[in-house]
Amino acid sequence: MNPYILATLLFGLGLGTTITFASSHWLLAWMGLEINTLAIIPLMAQHHHPRAVEATTKYFLTQATAAAMLLFASTTNAWLTGQWDIQQMSHPLPITLITLALALKIGLAPVHSWLPEVLQGLDLTTGLILSTWQKLAPFALLLQLQPANSTILIILGLTSTLVGGWGGLNQTQLRKILAYSSIAHLGWMILVLQFSPSLTLLTLLTYLIMTSSTFLVFKLNKSTNINMLATSWAKAPALTALTPLILLSLGGLPPLTGFMPKWLILQELAKQDLAPTATLAAMSALLSLYFYLRLSYAMALTMSPNNLTGMTPWRLQSSQLTLPLAISTMATLLLLPLTPAAVALLTL
Amino acid sequence: MSLPKISLPSVRLLSSIHHHQQQLLLPSTSPLTGPKRAVSQGEYRRPGQPKVDKFPWQPINFGFSKGFDGVKKHLALLKKEFSDRWVGPQGKPILEHMLEQNQVLWEFRGPESLEQWTVSSDQEIGGQSEVHLKLGKNQNTCLLYGTLSSTPPRDGETRYSGYCTMRSKQPLASFDRKKHYDWSSFNTLHLRVRGDGRPWMINIATETYFSHQKDDIYNYFLYTRGGPYWQDVKIPFSKFFITHRGRIQDDQHPLWLDKVNTIGFTLGDKADGPFQLEIDFVGVCKDYAHTEEFAYEVYKRNPEI
Repeated sequence: MNPYILATLLFGLGLGTTITFASSHWLLAWMGLEINTLAIIPLMAQHHHPRAVEATTKYFLTQATAAAMLLFASTTNAWLTGQWDIQQMSHPLPITLITLALALKIGLAPVHSWLPEVLQGLDLTTGLILSTWQKLAPFALLLQLQPANSTILIILGLTSTLVGGWGGLNQTQLRKILAYSSIAHLGWMILVLQFSPSLTLLTLLTYLIMTSSTFLVFKLNKSTNINMLATSWAKAPALTALTPLILLSLGGLPPLTGFMPKWLILQELAKQDLAPTATLAAMSALLSLYFYLRLSYAMALTMSPNNLTGMTPWRLQSSQLTLPLAISTMATLLLLPLTPAAVALLTL
Repeated sequence: MSLPKISLPSVRLLSSIHHHQQQLLLPSTSPLTGPKRAVSQGEYRRPGQPKVDKFPWQPINFGFSKGFDGVKKHLALLKKEFSDRWVGPQGKPILEHMLEQNQVLWEFRGPESLEQWTVSSDQEIGGQSEVHLKLGKNQNTCLLYGTLSSTPPRDGETRYSGYCTMRSKQPLASFDRKKHYDWSSFNTLHLRVRGDGRPWMINIATETYFSHQKDDIYNYFLYTRGGPYWQDVKIPFSKFFITHRGRIQDDQHPLWLDKVNTIGFTLGDKADGPFQLEIDFVGVCKDYAHTEEFAYEVYKRNPEI
């Protein structure tokens, strides 16, 4: 892509999210979300492959619907309460509508069906941007809402964890697996939103780091399905040894970083007398763990049939920048001991 | 004031009117003898369209037993879908999915294998080619045979004609939902055919989204060699180019293998006469030595100033 256009689009992405972060008026927040959508559309469709255009169209339609719902809900709130402030929403109807609109924006169940298809049609870099950066702005708005709709948040959260677990079970395409993992993690974030928004933020940030690691690993191996991942031992043996740990961190196993949000969320849910919810969420995390384990199995615990007499590619250096992968991998694996510091830092 | 009564004329009167109508070319006034072509098809029946002599609801079987069988079949398919999920992706255990390097998709070992294919020729537009599909000797292969005729139909607008094709049916899940083939672990199409020297075209249709992409098909050639010896043809999927309604597109893209709908074979080589193609099996395989991603034009064609 023309570097000027690419720079403009990336700047637009950053601008949209920053506007939403900095806004206290609903219209400005909506504007930031729209700038985000419009900036990422050309990035998604840059390869002009029919599947990429299909993914772009589906993304645009869902995001536009969500933005329209958001606009409608904020207008209703202005009509009912007389002001446009984000943090002063008091009427339950606009709050519910906005929660649903933001759920559609980020891909929570039951409005999640667009996410696997859209991610599948994109290349890994754009998929990374979609899974990480595009979640920040809607969460900035969700974190500022007054918690007046406890039931719907719990339903959204539990449905997302379950759908994310079951949907990803039989996938062989890596992008769809990551889409379902994204849905599951978003479910965990929403579960605890009304009790402790700082925990939601913590989960979001750890999820961003873990997902970035995973996407970057797949990008380095140039793999888009499980079988392609199985030959990565010949390309980057050190990374093949670390990737199961990254995937287990996504699954939420101690002593890796991914355990931190799950542990704190379960603790918070138990404090709020929601033990059955906590149990159900923990069990559905097992479903997600199954497909992460399957990926680790395919990658590191088996040696797939391949062209053994071919050149061992690990002797050649990859042309891809590996510094972001190195940093995010270390953050994905080693941050659990810093839990008290993280909690103190993120207490809103 | 009451409306005048309309009564049915007697049968003799009807036949006499019909007889006179043929002589005098008057429009028929006999009601309820069947749908007139003028009503359902318009004044002109295009060559190739079947003659309509039944009302639209008459061919439909409204029987209860047919519905009951249909429900049983779809519920069985639904149960199979649920149970396949427990086994693994696409109903196979994950180890089998990972170790798979060859997969036979269609092999012609019994009459039910012919049910998965549709044959058609230019008789649909009014041409005179014929095509038939039958099982070969010992029920081991399928034989696609017929006659090509490039006489165009006389409808005033078709200039060329003469094609025959065989296309696999879209795989369907329970309740007639579309299912797709996932060939992303493979990269080569492997056929065992015995032709008669004619050049065939292989068409692969993938799942599309927009309505204008409905006729987007990925094509490649199959040059058969004739003779009594079988021919093993291996075509990498990177060689397939995209066409729309038979015209090669400028904007080429590689074939994505994760949602393939149908495969087909077409003959349209402008040579009139009989043809034969015998197919033993159609499968996909993984060629580790083939690392090409796409065979056509990946460089930028219109560099910016």
